[in-house]
Amino acid sequence: MMPRFAPRLLLRLAAASVMLNGLFPVIWIALTSLKTETELTRQPITWWPHLLTWENYHRVATEQPLLTFVTNSLVVAILSTALSLVVASFAAYALARLEIRGRRLILGVIVCSSMFPLVTLLVPLFETMRALGLLNTYTALVLPYTVLNLPVCTLVLVSFFESIPRNLENAAMIDGASRLGALWHVVLPLSAPGVFTAGILAFVNAWDEFLLALSLNAAQSMRTLPVGITLYQGEYTFPWPVISAVLMIAIVPVILLVVAFQDRIVAGLTAGGVKG
Amino acid sequence: MKNVGLVSGQNSGVGPAFPAIEMTSGMKILRPWQRLCDLNGATLDYVLLLPAFLLLALIVVYPIGRLFYNSFLDLRLSSSVDAAQFVGLQNYADVFHDGEFWMALRNTVLVVVITVPGALVVGLGLALLANQVRRARALLRLSLLLPWALPLSFTGLIFAWFFHSEYGVVNDVLQRLGGIEPRMWLTQAWSASAAIWLTIIWKTSSFMALILLAGLQMIPRSLYEAAEVDGASAWQQFRHITLPMLTPSILVALIFRTITALQTFDIPYTMTHGGPGQATETLAMLIHKTTIDYLDVGYGSTLAVMMFVLSLLLSMVYIRFVGRGGGQ
Repeated sequence: MMPRFAPRLLLRLAAASVMLNGLFPVIWIALTSLKTETELTRQPITWWPHLLTWENYHRVATEQPLLTFVTNSLVVAILSTALSLVVASFAAYALARLEIRGRRLILGVIVCSSMFPLVTLLVPLFETMRALGLLNTYTALVLPYTVLNLPVCTLVLVSFFESIPRNLENAAMIDGASRLGALWHVVLPLSAPGVFTAGILAFVNAWDEFLLALSLNAAQSMRTLPVGITLYQGEYTFPWPVISAVLMIAIVPVILLVVAFQDRIVAGLTAGGVKG
Repeated sequence: MKNVGLVSGQNSGVGPAFPAIEMTSGMKILRPWQRLCDLNGATLDYVLLLPAFLLLALIVVYPIGRLFYNSFLDLRLSSSVDAAQFVGLQNYADVFHDGEFWMALRNTVLVVVITVPGALVVGLGLALLANQVRRARALLRLSLLLPWALPLSFTGLIFAWFFHSEYGVVNDVLQRLGGIEPRMWLTQAWSASAAIWLTIIWKTSSFMALILLAGLQMIPRSLYEAAEVDGASAWQQFRHITLPMLTPSILVALIFRTITALQTFDIPYTMTHGGPGQATETLAMLIHKTTIDYLDVGYGSTLAVMMFVLSLLLSMVYIRFVGRGGGQ
């Protein structure tokens, strides 16, 4: 709005306040992760570390439980992202090319399934997984995460698939490709940005999930990073500098993803705006 | 979910069409997977939809059915005997006399009523500010995306650290700026609630801002130019162009935010664990505690059904609301 009336200084203030609001917490954690534990308990607190140290990061890499948490998070996030991409691209392709009626209804059902409060699913999922002996396994998290990500992935992929002209597929099929072949060789490569967007959104969702991970995989060897760090708080005296270092390690991949693909993420968010 | 019926029903309906197409693609004998690859038309569409619907049936439909069934049972996994007893509406009667439920409901409603409008106002502010700035757009976008990308549980931990009574940056800033005495933020009922609301608003306003910013950038500049020619003030432009044009984006953002706010769990769990006492315990936390910690699946299911009904009602109100708005 009316950029001509806004003086330069006000613009700078506007930019600074948005940036301060968004970046301060992470900057503060980065600073904390570089402090020694003795500096942390000094009064009044210091803002800039007097003594920069990498010791905390070293402890994260060597101390047992923390390393396990990172591995668990990676395994669960990667597996569920891959699975939801496969299932969602099948469904999205069918929906984008569906020749019969009921297309909107089916899409609606898939999207509405994401409206169910996760907590309501938690109770029966816990009971079922417990009965099947699946508590504290990767399966217990990978399956629900895949389903949680289906709506976003399907929405994003449907909109990409629809933008690809059918003629391209028809051409491939005249050349002897099956429809699945056309999906694999023509549609998917052309929708690579969409697949990427869906994949990033799914990965971030799975990487962040807390409630199910806390409830279904509470055994220490199976905890994901968010659960591991939170329960660390209760079980040990809380070493804030080390925790900050873990947080940085957990946040930095997400930041890199966000920086690298911010246009796609924003596009995906506004197209299938699902997560709050 | 009618997926099974749909698939088998349509199979037979489309059946005659596909062998002919298969013939044209070669007369060789096909193995099952090749047969799948050569499927065409609507049959293939339904086969492709099948995995999604199987997963939905397994992880959403079956559990929801199970949830309603369990809510009529006395089912405690803690007892050595796993005998579930049918108790009719007893659990529901218990809910209405359960002080802890009403307290958790009150806390949840407060979170919704305070943080959803709060995040909207802050988000709108951030979006308007960000929309003004022409330089350093990448950094600006990052500052909006970062709070969104930060896991809720980490946000809770980080803000708990901010509000720490001895080493927290909040007390430090307040003391430096106004000489305000350090407070024990998270151990007193009202300040703990306020700290949690603030954290939720910070975390969710950037998502609002992203959606609203996208909406703002869709508004044609020519509208503002025309308004300026007509001598409209900045406020008038905001009131009569920006706000009406943004309404669809605002509604979408509000719906998603309200439904997720109702399920608030991570931030209060990591910041206060529901304390002091039960002062910051939300409905989701009560359900989690009843089911996972006390293993009382019957009563936990009943509480979850209450949550289910609550969010269903809310969604319906919104759908009506949006439906009417869209019809105009």
